[in-house]
Amino acid sequence: MDKKNSGNHRLLLELDHVSVGFPIGKREISVVTREVSFQVCEGEALGIVGESGSGKSVSMLAALGLLGNGGHVVSGNIRFYPEKEQCLVLNQFTEKQLCEIRGDDISMIFQEPMTSLNPVMTIGQQVEEMLVLHGNCPKEERRSKVLSMLSEAGLPDTEAMYGKYPHELSGGMRQRVMIAMAMICRPKLLIADEPTTALDVTIQAKILKLLKKFQKQYGTTIILISHDLGVIRNVCSRAVVMCAGEVVEQGNVETLFENPEKEYTKRLLAAALGKGGILRRENAPQENIIVKARDYSVYYEEREEQLFRQDETVKQEEEAEKVENQKSELEQTIEPKEIQNNLSKKAEIQKENRQESESELEQPIEPKEIQNNLSKKAESQKENRQESESELKQPTAQRKNQRYKIEMLKRRFRQFLSGKTKRRIVNKVSFDVYAGEIVGIVGESGCGKSTLAKAVAGLNPLTEGELYLDCKQPQMVFQDPYGSLNPSKTIGWLLTEPLRLKHCGTKEEQRKAVEQMLEKVGLGKEYYHRYPNTLSGGQRQRVAIAMAIMLKQKLIVLDEPVSALDVTVQEQILILLVELQKEFGLSYLFISHDMNVIHRICDRVFVMYQGEIVEKGNTDAVFENPQHEYTKKLLSARL
Amino acid sequence: MRYYVKKIVSLIMVLFLIMLLTFIAFQVIPGDGAISRLGVDATDEEVEALREALGLNRSLPERFFSFLGGAVHGDFGKSYQYSKPVSELLTARLPATVGLAAISIILILVISVPLGLLCSRKEGGAADRAVTILTQTLMAVPAFFLGIIITLVFGLILKWFQIGGYIDPKVNFTGFLQYMIFPAAAVAVPKIAMTVKFLKTSVLRELKLDYVRTARSKGNTERVVLWRHVLKNALIPVITFMGMVIADVLAGSIVIEQVFNLPGVGRLLVVAIGNRDYPVVEAVVVYIAAVVLIVNFIVDLLYQKVDPRVRMR
Amino acid sequence: MKKQNQKNWSLIFGIVLVSIVCVFAFVGLFWTPYEPTAMSILKNKPPSFAHPFGTDNLGRDILSRVMDGASTTFLISVITVTIGLVAGTVVGAFTGYYGGIIDELLMRLNDTLTSFPSILLALVFVSVIGTGKYNIILALGVIFIPSFARVVRSEYIVQKELDYVRNAKLLGAGDLRIMFVHILPNTKPILLSSLTIGFNNAILAEAGMSYLSLGVQPPDASLGEMLSNAQTYLLNAPWFALAPGLMIVFTVLGFSLISENLK
Repeated sequence: MDKKNSGNHRLLLELDHVSVGFPIGKREISVVTREVSFQVCEGEALGIVGESGSGKSVSMLAALGLLGNGGHVVSGNIRFYPEKEQCLVLNQFTEKQLCEIRGDDISMIFQEPMTSLNPVMTIGQQVEEMLVLHGNCPKEERRSKVLSMLSEAGLPDTEAMYGKYPHELSGGMRQRVMIAMAMICRPKLLIADEPTTALDVTIQAKILKLLKKFQKQYGTTIILISHDLGVIRNVCSRAVVMCAGEVVEQGNVETLFENPEKEYTKRLLAAALGKGGILRRENAPQENIIVKARDYSVYYEEREEQLFRQDETVKQEEEAEKVENQKSELEQTIEPKEIQNNLSKKAEIQKENRQESESELEQPIEPKEIQNNLSKKAESQKENRQESESELKQPTAQRKNQRYKIEMLKRRFRQFLSGKTKRRIVNKVSFDVYAGEIVGIVGESGCGKSTLAKAVAGLNPLTEGELYLDCKQPQMVFQDPYGSLNPSKTIGWLLTEPLRLKHCGTKEEQRKAVEQMLEKVGLGKEYYHRYPNTLSGGQRQRVAIAMAIMLKQKLIVLDEPVSALDVTVQEQILILLVELQKEFGLSYLFISHDMNVIHRICDRVFVMYQGEIVEKGNTDAVFENPQHEYTKKLLSARL
Repeated sequence: MRYYVKKIVSLIMVLFLIMLLTFIAFQVIPGDGAISRLGVDATDEEVEALREALGLNRSLPERFFSFLGGAVHGDFGKSYQYSKPVSELLTARLPATVGLAAISIILILVISVPLGLLCSRKEGGAADRAVTILTQTLMAVPAFFLGIIITLVFGLILKWFQIGGYIDPKVNFTGFLQYMIFPAAAVAVPKIAMTVKFLKTSVLRELKLDYVRTARSKGNTERVVLWRHVLKNALIPVITFMGMVIADVLAGSIVIEQVFNLPGVGRLLVVAIGNRDYPVVEAVVVYIAAVVLIVNFIVDLLYQKVDPRVRMR
Repeated sequence: MKKQNQKNWSLIFGIVLVSIVCVFAFVGLFWTPYEPTAMSILKNKPPSFAHPFGTDNLGRDILSRVMDGASTTFLISVITVTIGLVAGTVVGAFTGYYGGIIDELLMRLNDTLTSFPSILLALVFVSVIGTGKYNIILALGVIFIPSFARVVRSEYIVQKELDYVRNAKLLGAGDLRIMFVHILPNTKPILLSSLTIGFNNAILAEAGMSYLSLGVQPPDASLGEMLSNAQTYLLNAPWFALAPGLMIVFTVLGFSLISENLK
C-alpha cells in the first residue's frame, strides 16, 4: 500500500504490531490498543484519525514514554530510524535514553494550548529550555535563537513576547509558542496531538498552515493526530483510521477519502464531511413570526480579574496576521491579502463603533421577502425607532464627552465596590424567526452567539432594545450534556419536574407522559430510574432534549447541542432533532460554530462576528454566495 | 501600584472594623468594669466615682474614639487587676510569645517542605507510606495534649528541661532557646503534619496537569520536572495555607503557654478573661487580630510575587 | 489496587475508631460503671480490674469520667456543628445564589472572621458571655457559621452557573426551589467533608477551652477539663492524662480518616 512512499523516502518510524496497556491491580493489564502497525517515512505527513477513545494518541504517547499511570507497550516494537543504519527500539529504552530523544529527535504538541504551558514561566524561558536541554548552543546565542524561532512561528513583537507569561496570550498564540518550542531543535519527527481542536476555525487554518510551512521548510516529518477529517485532509498525505484501539484502514488520503473500503470509515466520512445529506425540508414556512428582535443588545457583567477577553484574542491574531502578511510579501506565498486586510480594518471600525454608544446603526442586510412579511406594527415601530435614534444623535460632542466622563466615574465606583464590569457582548442586532423554521446562528467563540441565545431564552436580564416572543417561555438545550442535567436526580425526576412545576396531571399521568417522552427520544422506559452519570454523552443530550420539549413549548434554543459529541453520535442527535421538530412543529434557534452542521439542518442562517450579525439569509444562498468577508473566511476555513 | 493601595486600604478598614467589634462586644457585657472591679457590695457612690475615673460615664462614640485613638498610639488604658498600663504588660509578655511562634514557624518550614517533596516524589513508596500514617496520626493530636506528653517524657522522665523553668532571653538567650524548643515542638508537630499533607496533595495535583507532560516531552528528567516546573506551581497554594498555619500557631500558643507555664501574651489573655480584666482582653484581642491581618497581608503580597497570573490584576 | 486496598484499610480503621469512641460517648450518656463524681480513698491508682483506667487525684473512676466527659464533649460538638451547618448553609445559599452588595459585605466580614483561629474567637465570646456548657455551645456554634457559609457559598457560586440550573429556571422553578431542591443535594459531598472537619474542630476547640478552665466547669466532666487536672499529677498518675488525651486523638483521627475516604 505504501510502496510509493517508502520507495521514494527513507523509513523513519515504524510501529510493528504494537499493543499498549495500562496495569490494573498487581497482575492484570487492560489493553487499550491492539496490534497497531503503520510506518512513517521521512518528510511525509501522516494523519491518525479516530473518535474519542479510539486510542489514536496512545501509541504515540507510549512511543515516548509519556503515558503515565504505568501505561506501556505490552507487545510489539516501535522502531525509530534517526539516521541511516541506525535503529532505535523505543519501547526498550530506559527513561534516561528517552529523555535524550524527546524534544531533540521527536517533539510533541498537545491539544490544550491553555494548559500545556507552565503558567509561572515566561514564554522565553520555556522555549529556551529546549536549547538548554538539547543542542550545544552557547548561552549568549540562545536568546537570539529563541527570538528568531518565535518570529518564525508567526508571533508578533518577539522581544516583548519573550518576557510574557502564557496567560497573557490567546489560545492561538499559545499554540504558536508550543510549535516554536517543538521546532527549535529541528526535530526529525513532530507529533501533533489534536493541535487545533480547541481553536476557532479561522485560527485553526493558520496553525495548520504554519505546520505545513515547517514541514516544507525543514523537511520535518509530521504525525498529526485528530478526530477532524478536514484537518487531516488539509495537512496529511497518508492517514491511518483507528477505531476502538485497532487500525481499521490506512492509505493515501485522497484514495482513502474518495473510496473508503471499510464501513466505519464511510460512516465517519459521511458524518464529518456533511455528506450525510441535508436534513432540513425544502421550503420552510415563513408566515408567523415567533421571535422578533430589533436593535437588541446584550450586556454581560464580569469580574475585573477575568482578564482574558475575546477582543484581546482578536487583537493578537490581527497583529500576528500583520506580521505574517509582511512576511508573505517577502516570501511571495499565496495569501488572500486583500480579504484579510479588509477584515482587520473592518474589525477595527466595528470596535470603534462599539465604543461610541450612539454611533449610527448599520442597516442590516435583509432579504426582501422577509421584510415584506413584516407586520405593519413592526414597521410603525421601526419608524418610531428611527425617530428616537435621530433624537439621540442630537447631543453635541461636548455633552457626549461629559456624559462619557460621568459614566466612566460611575463605572469606576461600581467596579471598586463589586469588582465587576459591564461589557456589551451583542451589539444591536435585528432579526426575525418564523414559527416552524430552524434558524442557525454561526460564529466563532466570543462572537456573542451564546450570549444572544441565552438572552432570547430570558437568561440574561442585561439587555437593551426590543425583543418580542410570540410563544411561551422558550426552552434550551446546552452544549455540555454533563452540566445540563442535575447529577443528583434521576432521569425520571428531571423529566417530571416541568410537569410538577406546572401542576400538570396526577402523578400517574405525569409518569406516563415521561415514559412516553423517553420512548420518543429513543431511550426507553428503563431509563426512568437511572442517574445522569450512568449515561453516555449522547444519551444525556437526548434527556436534555426531552426536558426541553416536555412542556410542548414552541421555541427551543439549542446552544451548540452536538459540539461535545463524537461525529457518529452527532449524526443521531441531529436526526432526532429534525424528527422532533417535524412532529411537534417546533422552531429552533440553532447555535453552532460548525458550518457543516448548520448547512445540514438550518433553513436560514445568521453569521455573527464580534457581537453583530454580519450576514443573514437562506442557508443555501449564504453558503453558495457569501456576501460578507467574514462569512467567506469561515467557509474557506471549512475543510 | 493600585493593587497595593487597594490592599492597604482594605487592611486598615478591616482593622478598624475589628476594633469596633471588639469595643462593642465589651460594651454589651452585663454590669460594667467598675462593678466587676469593686464587687457587688460597693456603694453607688464608690461605683460612680470609679466610673468617673475610668471614663466609663462618657457617651459610647466618645469612648470608642478615645479607645481608638489610644490604640493607635499603643495605649490601651490601665489594667483593672494590675493597675498598670496595659501596653506595659503586653510588652513584658511579648518575648515569650514571639519567640514561641518564631521557633515553631521555623520548625514547620524547615521540616515540612523537604518532607512533603520527598513523599510526593516517591509516591506509594515505603517512606511515603510511613510518613502518611505518621502525619495522619499527628494531625489528630491536639497541641496541648502533645505538650503534656512532651512534659511527661522530656521533662519528667528524661529530665531534658526544667518544667516551668522559663528563662528570659535577655538574661540567657541560648538557655531561652533550649527551653523554648519543647513548647515550640508541641505547637509545630501537628502543623508540620498538616503542611506535609497539603504540600503532597498540591504537588500530586500539579503532576497531573498538562504542562507537566509538556515538560516531559521536552526531554526533562523526572527530577528536573519536579524541581523546575512543578515546585513553584505547587508552592503557590502552600503560601496561602502557611498564612492559615501562622494564625493557628498564634492561637495554639495561647494554650501551649498554659501547658508550659510560659509568661506570654496568651496566658495574659486567659488570666485576664478569668479576672474580667477587660482593658487587657481588648488589647490582646486587637493585638492578635492585627498580627493575623498583617500576616495575611504579607501572604497576599507574596502570592502576588510568585504567581504571575495575579500580578495582572 | 494497592492504593485502593490501602484506602479501604484506612477507612475501616477510621470507622472502627469512630464506633468505639461513639459507643463510649453514647453509653456514657446513660450509664457509667461508677458515678463520675463519686470520690473514694483510692487516689491516683493505676489501672486495675476494678478501675480499668485507674483513678484520679480525688479517687474518682477515670473510665467513668472519660465516658461522661466524652459524651459531654460529643454533645457540645454535635450541637455546635449543627448550628453552624444549618445557619451556615442558609446564609451561604442565599449569599452565593443572589450575590450583590450584601453578599460582598458579608463575605468581607466572613473572610476576616475565618482567618482567625476559632479558639481565639471562642475566648473572646466566653469573656463576653461567660463560661459554662451552654455558653460554649453558643459561642462555638456562632463561630462555626462563617466557615460553613463560606464553603456553601462558593459551592453555590459554582453551581448556579451550571446549565442544569439554567434549565430549571427555564422550566419555571422558583429561586427557593432551585436553591434547596435542585442545588442543595449537589453540595452534599462538600458538606459531608466540611461536616467531619467541623466536628473535629469543635472537639478540639471545646477541649482546648475546657483545658483553659474557660469551658465546661467542674464538677461536670469534659475531656479538656480532665487533662487540665491531670497535668498536676503527671509523674504519679500518667494514665490520668493519657485516657482523655487518647480519647480525643482517636476521635479526631477516626473522623479525619473517614472524611479522607469520602472524597
